[in-house]
Amino acid sequence: MILFRIALRNLASHKLKSFIVGGLLAFGTFLLMVGQALLGSLDQSMARSVTGSLSGQLQAYSTGAKDKLALFGDMNGGSDIGTINNFKQIRQLLEAQPEVQAVVPQGMDVAMVYGGNIIDVKLEALRAAEKTGDRARSQVVRAHIRRIIALLAQDMAKIGEVTDLAHASTETRQSLADLQNCGADTFWQNFDRDPLAAMEFLENKIAPLALNADMLFFRYMGTDTARFAKEFELFEIVDGTAIPPGQRGFLFNKLNYEDMVKHKTARRLDKMKDRLADGYKIAADDDLKAWIKLNKDQYKDVSYQLDDVAAAQVRGALQQALASKEENLDKLISQFMDMDDQNFSTRYETFYKSVAPHLMLYSVKVGDIMTIKSFTSSGYPTSVNVKIYGTFRFRSLDKSTLAGGVNVMDLMTYRDLYGFLSADKKQEIDALEKASGVKEIKREDAEAELFGGGAGEEVVEVGTVTPTDQAGAVTAAEALAGDPSPAAQAPVGLAVSPSPSAPSVASGGPSSAQSKSKTRRWSDDIANRVYSQDEIDSGVVRHMAIILKKGTDERKALAHLQSVADAAGLKITVVDWRVASGFIGDFLWVIYTVLATALLIIFIVAVIVMNNSMVMATLERTKEIGTMRAIGAQKTMILQMFLAEAVVTAGVFGGLGALLAVALVARLHAVGLPAMNDVLVFLFAGPRLYPVISPMHFLISGMLVALVALISTLYPAWLAMRVTPLEAMQDAE
Amino acid sequence: MNSENLKTSAASAIVQLSHVDKEYQLGKVTVPALHDVSISIQAGEFTVIAGPSGSGKTTLLNLIGCVDVATRGQVIIDGRNTLELKEKELTRLRLDRLGFIFQSFNLVGVLDAFQNVEFPLLLQKTLGKKEREARVQALMESVGIAQYAHHRPGELSGGQRQRVAIARALVTKPRIVLADEPTANLDSVTGTAILDLMQELNRQGTTFLFSTHDPRVVARAGRVIRLFDGRIEQAGTESARADEASAHAAPQAGGQP
Ligand SMILES: Nc1ncnc2c1ncn2[C@@H]1O[C@H](COP(=O)(O)OP(=O)(O)O)[C@@H](O)[C@H]1O
Ligand SMILES: [Mg+2]
Repeated sequence: MILFRIALRNLASHKLKSFIVGGLLAFGTFLLMVGQALLGSLDQSMARSVTGSLSGQLQAYSTGAKDKLALFGDMNGGSDIGTINNFKQIRQLLEAQPEVQAVVPQGMDVAMVYGGNIIDVKLEALRAAEKTGDRARSQVVRAHIRRIIALLAQDMAKIGEVTDLAHASTETRQSLADLQNCGADTFWQNFDRDPLAAMEFLENKIAPLALNADMLFFRYMGTDTARFAKEFELFEIVDGTAIPPGQRGFLFNKLNYEDMVKHKTARRLDKMKDRLADGYKIAADDDLKAWIKLNKDQYKDVSYQLDDVAAAQVRGALQQALASKEENLDKLISQFMDMDDQNFSTRYETFYKSVAPHLMLYSVKVGDIMTIKSFTSSGYPTSVNVKIYGTFRFRSLDKSTLAGGVNVMDLMTYRDLYGFLSADKKQEIDALEKASGVKEIKREDAEAELFGGGAGEEVVEVGTVTPTDQAGAVTAAEALAGDPSPAAQAPVGLAVSPSPSAPSVASGGPSSAQSKSKTRRWSDDIANRVYSQDEIDSGVVRHMAIILKKGTDERKALAHLQSVADAAGLKITVVDWRVASGFIGDFLWVIYTVLATALLIIFIVAVIVMNNSMVMATLERTKEIGTMRAIGAQKTMILQMFLAEAVVTAGVFGGLGALLAVALVARLHAVGLPAMNDVLVFLFAGPRLYPVISPMHFLISGMLVALVALISTLYPAWLAMRVTPLEAMQDAE
Repeated sequence: MNSENLKTSAASAIVQLSHVDKEYQLGKVTVPALHDVSISIQAGEFTVIAGPSGSGKTTLLNLIGCVDVATRGQVIIDGRNTLELKEKELTRLRLDRLGFIFQSFNLVGVLDAFQNVEFPLLLQKTLGKKEREARVQALMESVGIAQYAHHRPGELSGGQRQRVAIARALVTKPRIVLADEPTANLDSVTGTAILDLMQELNRQGTTFLFSTHDPRVVARAGRVIRLFDGRIEQAGTESARADEASAHAAPQAGGQP
């Protein structure tokens, strides 16, 4: 008691020293507490984001994997994480374990989609007009198609100039000839003679040429869609419906859908609206200015889609909105898009009221059947048709491109695209190849025969590996990886054919026109087919999410499940979500390391300073210590006195730091720490992080600060214990 | 015959030194500080160690105070041979049987007067809070500093500080109080007052052994031990006279409890 009194008095009587040492200790404790609170809640929010969206608490993948599983890390396609052929068996075993709620099969890949294009839309309108005999309407649409063809021809000619026509492929020259043919007056004069033949020609020869400009890449997860929707708690449908259980289908991630599929101009306006709502000003923000400039320059994205009737309406609306007499539509659009902070909201409204209804706002729509192209694991191009049932989002992660970049597709289609076929089907294809004599098989033709059961069949990959094909697949993935946030410029990059080996329509890959003509048959046979759970579980998967029951200890579950799997001879590696998520998981470690390093430095400095000042104090107090020893204080009492001083210092200043930390964290908890970018949105599992301090944080901080104080005290205490009672007698005589 | 004498007096002596030498080692040089010192001090004495500066007064008090050890010879304090005691036991001996008054007071600066006086009792841990505080209070009153109980040493004059120190030395009721030049840092008036106080306390039963080089102080001693160059001066006559003095002093002190 007297010792604490001495310690307190000493603290109070050495103000500067106490200020420095105390400041360090208080700051260290403060940082420690706040850091722990932030890291703790970050870990929780990340766990929510990662486990609730794609990963589950645990992931399992093949022991044969060459690369590490990285769900959010690299964009996949390049990494080899092996395949799992006995998923059914694994699922049965794991789901029998008490801590496991569900096991969801998964596989990630990148799909290429040639989005529906304006010629297709216009041709459909033309067909409808012809059918109903609406001559006037037909003429308007025809004129519009002619205009589009003229623009296409211009583009092709430009490419021709660059690439030297003499050496161009026969396909390219043929395409140019076709375009010139359609652009000529004679083609349109003869249109009425055989409208069906003319339209067939446009659909088969011309429409595919426009497709190049609309090639999109989607990252998707092939999964048991019903279980995915049920087990991932953040998943929810936004538009359309869920994929009916057991059926094939595709769900767009809402954010991905908006970013990739929506009309560029409209999308930019949406993003501007969001950004303005966040308090940014056009006058002072480079992003907003850049989007405005793009909208102004790319007026063609709008005018190109307007036939004469629509153009007249839009012209009228814009003239009114701008109070302008300008007749040139392109100029009007450009002027209209030149927005500022004052007129943005009214023009935004005008755009959606008077312009958007005439545009193809989404190049792929919910309910459409979409042709997805991909490369098999060996680089062999495949394509498959799949119905888009709707869009979904991961709750509270709407704005994060990390989670928002992944779409969902059924497992059967995924397997087809990825090239996992049973041995039987491989033979079938080989036979077909021989019979037809073609190298590249038209998947649509084989599909009907190919789809089907296949339970327990051995799986082989189709196609031959060639280095160029591999490179092509990787490049396609990189094109997407290069710009995870599809900002204004992203679609431009995506429109570029990723590599010479990627199938371009002009070079004779299966075109959407061809697949479209097969659509009816496809949807009858395939789209409505309901696969049994057994069929879904029996094929190949790449990895799987293991959803644990609430309140299960992840680490224990991991060890247990791994040992169960090993004992059963299943060749899988079980990892937790931190490992499975790739760089996201590393992120936590980076913050942790930075914080730990900072704390280490602060505490080392604290130890040095504290040690130093206490040594000084010991020297100053030699006489006092000697006196205490002379009048009967034992050495242990001197040690206790120093320890008491350490405890008091740590207690007072550690307490002060902790108090400040509690105040700050309480404040942060009330307001929330805003996520500055979309990576943070993901990490925070929402737009804000709400950190909390737990008793454990107090305990850890208290112990650490006490330890620091103790270490600083050891040497001076040792010195003090060596002071002899003789020191009391020495007088300056 | 002298040794006979010594033995008999040793039985009741609080301090008993026989043929004590003390040498300091300064590197390779050996500095003799005390040579063949034999002293016996009885309860109740008011003894002064007198001698010029450097004569060995402090050294002698340190040996008796168990804060230093003799090079040769025996030091027996209250019947216990200090050479045979461990460091811990010596410390306990100092705490329980000895009181110390220092030339420069040596109070704990961060504690107030009351706490300084209380300090040895807290080390002893034998008394309860009430008894402890009562004893401290009484003692502070008897040395005349009760009104400064909650002053820190820095707020007190030299004389007041030395009174606090005296109270601290007496609070454990030691067998003997040792004081090395207790008045050296005080002006003569204050010094005299402190001396008066010590004499008064001696009359009440406290044994004092203190050093001085001030002849006026020597004059008030009950018994004088004169040191010169580490030896007790005029060994024959002086010690005889000293023995005589002590023989007179003892009953004198004992007669006035
Ligand atoms: N720690 C020491 N180391 C060496 N010599 C010492 C030490 N203390 C005292 N001395 C020497 O011992 C002799 C006696 O000193 P001291 O007992 O302090 O004398 P006094 O107190 O009478 O002035 C002196 O010569 C002094 O120099
Ligand atoms: Mg001296």
